[in-house]
Amino acid sequence: MASMLNASLRSDQNVEVHKFYSGAVILVAFLALIVQAFFHKFGHWADFVDLPLLVVIYFSVSRRNPVTGLLLGAAIGMFQDGLSHDNPIGLYGIAKTLVGYVASTAGARIDTEHPVSRFVLTFLFFHFHQMIYVFTQRFLLNEAIPFFTLHLLLESVVNAAVGVILFALLDRLRRRS
Amino acid sequence: MIGVLSRHSPLALLAGVLLAQVLLLAYQIKRDHDVRLIRYWSAQSSMPFARGGTWFFSNLGGFWSGYVNLHNAHKENAQLRQEVGQLRLRNSELENKAAEEQRLETLLNFRNAHPEVQMIAAQVISASADPASDTMFINRGDQDRIRRNMAVITPDGVVGKIVEVLGNTSQVMLMTDKDMGVGALFADTRTHGVVKGSGESQPKLDYIVNDEKVSAGQVLLTSGEDKIFPKGLLIGTIASAKEGNPFQVIRVSPAARLDRLEDVLVLATQQELAPRKSGEPFTVSPAPPAPPPSPAPAASQTNSQPAARLSAAPAAAAPQSATQAAPQTTPTQAPPQ
Repeated sequence: MASMLNASLRSDQNVEVHKFYSGAVILVAFLALIVQAFFHKFGHWADFVDLPLLVVIYFSVSRRNPVTGLLLGAAIGMFQDGLSHDNPIGLYGIAKTLVGYVASTAGARIDTEHPVSRFVLTFLFFHFHQMIYVFTQRFLLNEAIPFFTLHLLLESVVNAAVGVILFALLDRLRRRS
Repeated sequence: MIGVLSRHSPLALLAGVLLAQVLLLAYQIKRDHDVRLIRYWSAQSSMPFARGGTWFFSNLGGFWSGYVNLHNAHKENAQLRQEVGQLRLRNSELENKAAEEQRLETLLNFRNAHPEVQMIAAQVISASADPASDTMFINRGDQDRIRRNMAVITPDGVVGKIVEVLGNTSQVMLMTDKDMGVGALFADTRTHGVVKGSGESQPKLDYIVNDEKVSAGQVLLTSGEDKIFPKGLLIGTIASAKEGNPFQVIRVSPAARLDRLEDVLVLATQQELAPRKSGEPFTVSPAPPAPPPSPAPAASQTNSQPAARLSAAPAAAAPQSATQAAPQTTPTQAPPQ
């Protein structure tokens, strides 16, 4: 998996593809899942931040490879489903697979290095992820969950803000060419 | 591998990963009645094909079986039609036999009820070709000892008399023939008269004076004075009566069904028939000796006296014989036409 994610692949010769230290992607993803599960024990405030989603967005945008993005999203999402106590496996997996694919595709076309663009991208991908998640729940689980609430809007803003900070931290894991 | 997938089919990989996860979800999720979603989907997705296949094959089978059944039904229909035709024919034969048996049984019973009278059973084989004469042919003739002027009857009543005898057939003149006459008397009042054929279905009763009270429904019997029919045979009932000049115009409805005769009895003697039941019109008495011809009744003669009526009837019963020289000749006999 590490070799796959670290493979130096370019979807576009004109776009810069960032490489990371070996095992960095896996480690970060694992930490994000652990921290997310750990924070969940301390109350609902931890639900505001979806660290696995932020990690998927960051690495997908940075790697700019749709295959890598969707596989990373699928792996992190299914792990997240496994760590949650009531989600069937695949609920987050589907949503994060699509986010990883779309983010890597978008990262190959737009600037993802500027904090504002990162904020906007995270904000949009959060809602995209939520839309897929709600749609899947409605369609498969037959649960009537609203597509949009103020709470969700607040969550997206918080995640976008946290994402800007987190992405800056994760930039340090890049290997310099 | 990722490089190959990235270059050629990232969308296919995305679809595959998503599909795998959807199936994984469907395997875990249970819907109503604790049925896994993937099982529900499987059933739902395969059901239209199963239904379509079932519909197609059932319709195909139905069409084929319908065609085969139709073909068989056509043959069976033709066969059944043939059978129905044969059965109808058979049924008709049986009905005819049953009717014939009933008629013969009636004749036999009648014959057995009167063993003192010699009777010859005969079948009607044809009617006269002359529409002006009411005659018919029976299948008994000289070989069966049939003789002219023998009375022909049925258990219902008087039919007519033998007018021609051949080897094995005879010609019968019906009582409706215009040359036919039968000596008659009322069953209740014992008034005598003569029933004369008129060529119509209802013969006339002649020589009943206007003073005589006659009403429809009165029963008419043979008087025996014509030397052909024994006394007491049922002729028929009065159909209508009205005053005339010099006698009443009375129509008689024959008791025997002359229009549909099939089996008849020929009386070999003029011996009266003995009644076996009360009310039966036949009387018990030996055959009366042939009475001498009586003088023709006077027009003014009343029939209030039975003796007068009895003496008047034979003469009245033989309008044609009044001109005949031989007094022993049957009063009602008319020259063959």
